[in-house]
Amino acid sequence: MKDRKNFLLMILVSGASVLFILLSSCKAGKEEASRAKAAKKVVRPQFIIGLSQCNLGEPWRVQMNLDIKNEADKHPELKVIFKDAQNDSLRQQAQIEEFINAGVDLIIVSPKEAAPLTAPVAAAYERGIPVIVLDRRVLGEKYTCFIGADNKKIGYAAGRWIVQRLKGQGKVVELKGLMTSTPGQDRHTGFREAIKGSNIEVIFEADMKWLEPEARKEMESALARFPKIDLVYAHNDPGAHGAYLAAKAAGREKEIIFVGIDALPHEGQIYVRQGILEASFEYPTGGKEAILFALEILQGKPVPKEVVLPSKYFTRMNIDQGGESIEKLLGPQYAEYLSAVANLMVLEHLKLNFRNLILAQ
Amino acid sequence: MFLWCQKKIKNNFLTIFRSPLMRATLALIFVFLIGVIFNAHGAFFRWDTHRDMFRHISVFAILACGMTIVIITAGIDLSVGSVLGFSAVLFSLLTIQRGLNPILALFLVFLAGLGCGLISGALVARFKIQPFIATLAMMVFARGLAKWISGGKKISTAILDSSGVYRYVEPPQIFNLLNSKIFNGNLAVVTIIFLFCALISSLILGKLRLGRYFYAVGGNEEAARLSGVPVAQTKLIAYGLSGLFSAVAGICQAAQEMQGDPEAGLTYELTAIAIVVIGGTSLAGGRGSLGLTIVGALTIGYLEKILSLNAIGEASRLMLTGAIIIGAVLFQRARK
Repeated sequence: MKDRKNFLLMILVSGASVLFILLSSCKAGKEEASRAKAAKKVVRPQFIIGLSQCNLGEPWRVQMNLDIKNEADKHPELKVIFKDAQNDSLRQQAQIEEFINAGVDLIIVSPKEAAPLTAPVAAAYERGIPVIVLDRRVLGEKYTCFIGADNKKIGYAAGRWIVQRLKGQGKVVELKGLMTSTPGQDRHTGFREAIKGSNIEVIFEADMKWLEPEARKEMESALARFPKIDLVYAHNDPGAHGAYLAAKAAGREKEIIFVGIDALPHEGQIYVRQGILEASFEYPTGGKEAILFALEILQGKPVPKEVVLPSKYFTRMNIDQGGESIEKLLGPQYAEYLSAVANLMVLEHLKLNFRNLILAQ
Repeated sequence: MFLWCQKKIKNNFLTIFRSPLMRATLALIFVFLIGVIFNAHGAFFRWDTHRDMFRHISVFAILACGMTIVIITAGIDLSVGSVLGFSAVLFSLLTIQRGLNPILALFLVFLAGLGCGLISGALVARFKIQPFIATLAMMVFARGLAKWISGGKKISTAILDSSGVYRYVEPPQIFNLLNSKIFNGNLAVVTIIFLFCALISSLILGKLRLGRYFYAVGGNEEAARLSGVPVAQTKLIAYGLSGLFSAVAGICQAAQEMQGDPEAGLTYELTAIAIVVIGGTSLAGGRGSLGLTIVGALTIGYLEKILSLNAIGEASRLMLTGAIIIGAVLFQRARK
């Protein structure tokens, strides 16, 4: 009796899965067919690109894949194979190896972590497969091209904008992203560096782990403690939105300015248009650029080893013109700050060499 | 005479002290006292703080209502967080994008949540798959379902037209209604919904024959079967109710975020289980009550609120939460 039941369940589940796979492959096939029809002449893809995305659970990375797909669709000679490592470094290692074995023409990888991905990326590179590393780095030099944006710079630009907007003084709440992640740390340090020397005071800071419900909870606490808050700086747009909802529930959303980061077209930019956020700073995905550089590489042209993506910021004033570059916001202080950081790094380097020298003796 | 009197008082005191509800309440009072001491410049003494705490914990507490029933039958439901996410997305899709009648949408989402629960229940009761495994599968499946119907994106009030231009719609009335406050802005609507859910499940557990079946199945399944309790149906209903409550929580979550996020409710199942266990309901099944779960929800809620009010760093927050959970559970068990 029990066996029969289990057998029934097995048949049911496997039947359903087979049907589902068939259906989804049919759908994909149809899409491809209609795409080919739209292009009118059927061009067989010359180049196959393997893409390993570290985690499709984040909207920003969904957008990155979308940008890659949209750009690749314009070039019928390209075919992109998308893989999602589901936030697992070991799975991502395996995906790179699969791409090598399948003999793809180029690999684009957005690594979850640097250390575990360095070896497989180097292996592909040494086999002569060009590798484009997107957003997060790998260690060493064994890759073709790195494309990414600078979070510290974006945090700094946000800080400068906030100083200008508040005319140099005010009380600010900072809702931080996960502080164990580099984007969280960089958006924090850049911002703090930019508000140094002004009378802007960070009265409350909390780690909202990039999550909207957490941000709302933390903002409620800030509202309960402080009768006057001028501005909320959140490390991502959902965080700023959560803070806005908390302030709205307390009837204080009119007296507070909300600023976020990421400016995704279907998220931050819309919040700016709706007047929920006063500004959002774009953290570009680099998906489009990755495909453009991939084409250059595949045609045998030289590409730079490192590409820092330009970033824009969106306010109600400029959003219809497609945003403005953050470079104008940075000002001369940023160059000073950069050189200070560079000096510090040189100093560290010297120290290290000095120690090695002593150790060698 | 005097001695006898003293002894009786002492005995009474001990019996009261020994009741699980009293112990759970003492843990709550302990956390509350921490709040009174570390009151963040008086912020803890304002009603707003408590109202916001109730609002924040309500979604978790609604999940915990269903979880209590499942845990009393000696099961566990890991799928509540994912079913919450799925329901939030489905509700947003139906109301914001399709503009469906809210009552009809509510009904459909309830049905979807109930369906998810019944599937887990059928796997547990009919096919004898362990609850942990069956609901783990449902957890993964429902998350996939949420991402599938949403296309991996948040379902918000900005709708992408076929021409690639965004169109903005006002959030439906039902969202504003669920996200508002009543009694002069002194209580959030979601808290009322939680209280309603708590009332219903405590009535089921305490007054109905079905409730006694839940306890019987959790206490000793074989004995229950021999005394004529329909074990399979009872389990099926327990998981079905849990799915239904998850759908309610999902609707509340969507209304509070003003959007349907396919990632909503990630790890919420763990908080729901923590609430039930801190209250003192036994994971072994057969013992516990909804009153305990309410006290557990308040304990976790106040703990989070106090840590947040004082802007304690993340590392210390996690360590403190872990330590206090262990403390509360040990306190529960120290019976003799």
